[in-house]
Amino acid sequence: MDFQVVVLAGGVSKKLLPLVSHELPNALLPVANRPVLSYVVELLELSNLKDLIVVVEGKDTALNVGAWISGAYADRLHVEVAAVPEDVGTAGAIRAIARHLYAKDILIVSGDLVSDVPIGAVAATHRRHDAVVTALLCNTPVSGPLESVSSGGKDKAKKPGRYDLIGLDPTKQFLLHIATGAEVEKDLRIQKSILRSVGQVEIRADLMDAHLYAFKRSVLLEVLDQNGEFHSLKHDVLPYLVRSQLKSEVLLNGTPQAEENGTEKVISQSNQQMLSQILANASEPTFHLRHELSTNGSDSVRRTHKCCVYIAGSNKYCARLNSLQAYNDINRDVIGEASHLSGYSFSSHNNIIDPTAELGAKTTVGPHCMLGEGSQMGDKCSVKRSVIGRHCRIGANVKVVNSVVMNHVTIGDGCSIQGSVICSNVQLQERATLKDCQVGAGYMVTAGSDCKGEVLTKK
Amino acid sequence: MQFDDQNRVGKAKRRALVNQTEAKNRVELFRHLPQYDHGSQLPNLESKLFQLDSVHPAVFKVGLRYMAGDISGVNARCTEMLRALQEAIIDYSTPPEKVLIRELTAKISSYISFINECRPLSISMGNAIRFVKRRIAKLPLSHTDVEAKTALCSDIDRFINEKIIIADKVIVGHASTKVRDGDVLLTYGLSCVVEMILLSAHDVGKKFRVVVVDSRPKLESQALLNRLIAKGLSCTYTHINAVSYIMHEVTKVFLGASAVLSNGTVLSRVGTACIAMVAHAFSVPVLICCEAFKFHERVLLDSICCNEIGDPGALATVPGRMDINYLENWTNEENLQLLNLMYDVTPSDYVSVIVTDHGMIPPTSVPVIVREYGQEHYLI
Repeated sequence: MDFQVVVLAGGVSKKLLPLVSHELPNALLPVANRPVLSYVVELLELSNLKDLIVVVEGKDTALNVGAWISGAYADRLHVEVAAVPEDVGTAGAIRAIARHLYAKDILIVSGDLVSDVPIGAVAATHRRHDAVVTALLCNTPVSGPLESVSSGGKDKAKKPGRYDLIGLDPTKQFLLHIATGAEVEKDLRIQKSILRSVGQVEIRADLMDAHLYAFKRSVLLEVLDQNGEFHSLKHDVLPYLVRSQLKSEVLLNGTPQAEENGTEKVISQSNQQMLSQILANASEPTFHLRHELSTNGSDSVRRTHKCCVYIAGSNKYCARLNSLQAYNDINRDVIGEASHLSGYSFSSHNNIIDPTAELGAKTTVGPHCMLGEGSQMGDKCSVKRSVIGRHCRIGANVKVVNSVVMNHVTIGDGCSIQGSVICSNVQLQERATLKDCQVGAGYMVTAGSDCKGEVLTKK
Repeated sequence: MQFDDQNRVGKAKRRALVNQTEAKNRVELFRHLPQYDHGSQLPNLESKLFQLDSVHPAVFKVGLRYMAGDISGVNARCTEMLRALQEAIIDYSTPPEKVLIRELTAKISSYISFINECRPLSISMGNAIRFVKRRIAKLPLSHTDVEAKTALCSDIDRFINEKIIIADKVIVGHASTKVRDGDVLLTYGLSCVVEMILLSAHDVGKKFRVVVVDSRPKLESQALLNRLIAKGLSCTYTHINAVSYIMHEVTKVFLGASAVLSNGTVLSRVGTACIAMVAHAFSVPVLICCEAFKFHERVLLDSICCNEIGDPGALATVPGRMDINYLENWTNEENLQLLNLMYDVTPSDYVSVIVTDHGMIPPTSVPVIVREYGQEHYLI
């Protein structure tokens, strides 16, 4: 269908430290015991998109990701892993792989997206309106632990930075304004020309940009070429295209018509104009057309381009793994409400326990939990709403609530873990109590330690 | 295909590329026409973009735009479809050991059936498709792929040019002579040819008024009204329920057509028959402006046999009036069926003259045109 898919898998992000490290890049961070990149790849595979380009920052990380992909998807998909230098931003990543892009439209997906939105629908909206960019918008996910006992203040401080302010037209098809992140705190600036043409702008704060874009290739490459200072697709390129949609400076048709030298053109110029008039009159005029036609006697023909949106249905799940809070939330959701995403089948108690896992006597594993293979749990343990990875050794009398425990973790007897993330190869000695902590890989928590809201990493 | 025949419907469903769910409250009289649930059609098709590998992207885009209702009017629909077929032909390559003519015809047929599933084709579009298939069949076997493709593309270009664009210019030339100073012209619906006639007569300097008649639920004439007012014509706007009150002022009626059939009947937007009958009652001449490629050898006596059913939900709402919601739960009422017909048939008695690119002919001369100019050597 003339679409190429680029997955931006990032590198080792600072926001997710200490969970990520050189050995475990962003893309391979496990969500419900599967690397988060696998969710994107499965979604693309479901939509029959088998040719992907995965862009990773840093050569070693690229090798890591490439090794995992070829291990898991060798025969089913054809994936090219491209390494780009660190900190070039999403725009720089696209510039680096520009020569590999040949299709008419490019689908750019962020590698940390966990979703079940049909990608075909975004692409179809893009094609239908002949848009220059189409963005996927979804409802902002509910964040924070369900049983939030304390730390309410900390959560509230994190929330405002995440939201986007989206301006839509009345038919909810076109994107008129987008303000992200830091700009949300400041005043909102809307183009007067856009407001005048459309008449009515709906500003939504409950929609979030899901970082899934469909771009017209020629326009994207042209914008990146002409504006070398653009660093990020979401913060620079997208707002630029949205702001300039009624004063378009991009060449919409890529290469100029090569048939100028034809001796006999079948349809002459004036007839061509008449034809385009017929076609334009036949459809409901969008505000772009109305703006173009109202030239007010100015000499320059005002060109416009369209920025469309696709709003995901409220029954679809869509979340991005870009912060520690999001990590906790997504883990909870994938084994909870959005369980169809995890791809596992649930047992009668509404949890997933691997057949090779061993449970001690009187150990309870509550609903919405996950136990990886080869894990062993001691007696009288209690696991609620948590994910436990592979080959973990958990002692007796351990309480794990609302947490994520990765692979090869040893937890001593009498520990209590609440709302925390414990990375691989960590050792927790007896009676350690962790609440809302993040423990980096390979760390050892001494016996009897009591940590609240700390980040524990190896020095 | 008649949709009340269970066997055929079942077979067609198995072959179908687009899954359509049938509407719940179907109208019994129109069981032979496809009645689908409009709410889920578009999202279903959209999510299949990447699954339908057999459909060319340009053809998929046209089908999507048809289903979404982005394009209306036979001229525009025909042009978009032919352009999409052109692109599909350019990208086509014959598999080895196969003959271009047969393979290409089969491919085009599959594309046409996909477009038909998105929105039923109108009668005159069938003429255009028959033309394309005939041109493919007439390709000499000695042509290489490239030559054949360029020949076909230029044929399609010529069809669009001669049968639509130049035909429209000729029609405008003929019909403008019929507009005199002091005339009050009535038009209904959104016909691109009638719009061109009115604008060109205004450009020449004739002084006349226009009455634009509109009808729910599409309210198509509002776009026409906007464009006429922007050019400076003095217009009156009314809905079809008032046409008998305004007809006494009118001197001529200009109407467009979707197709003209062999017995002189005119297939056009629903409501046209009403306008033509009222005009006849007031002895006002009715001029149908229609290109010759829309003439068809079929005969229709009523609006029931061949028609298209639109979205019934559109009848239940009035745009801009949220308080009129008496029909909100019409799907749950067992005794209520909403019928939204798109086309109707005007008998030839109510038509005074048909303005075509062959000249101004009475409705009885339509079979002559179909017979004489339908010959292949006249088509190009």
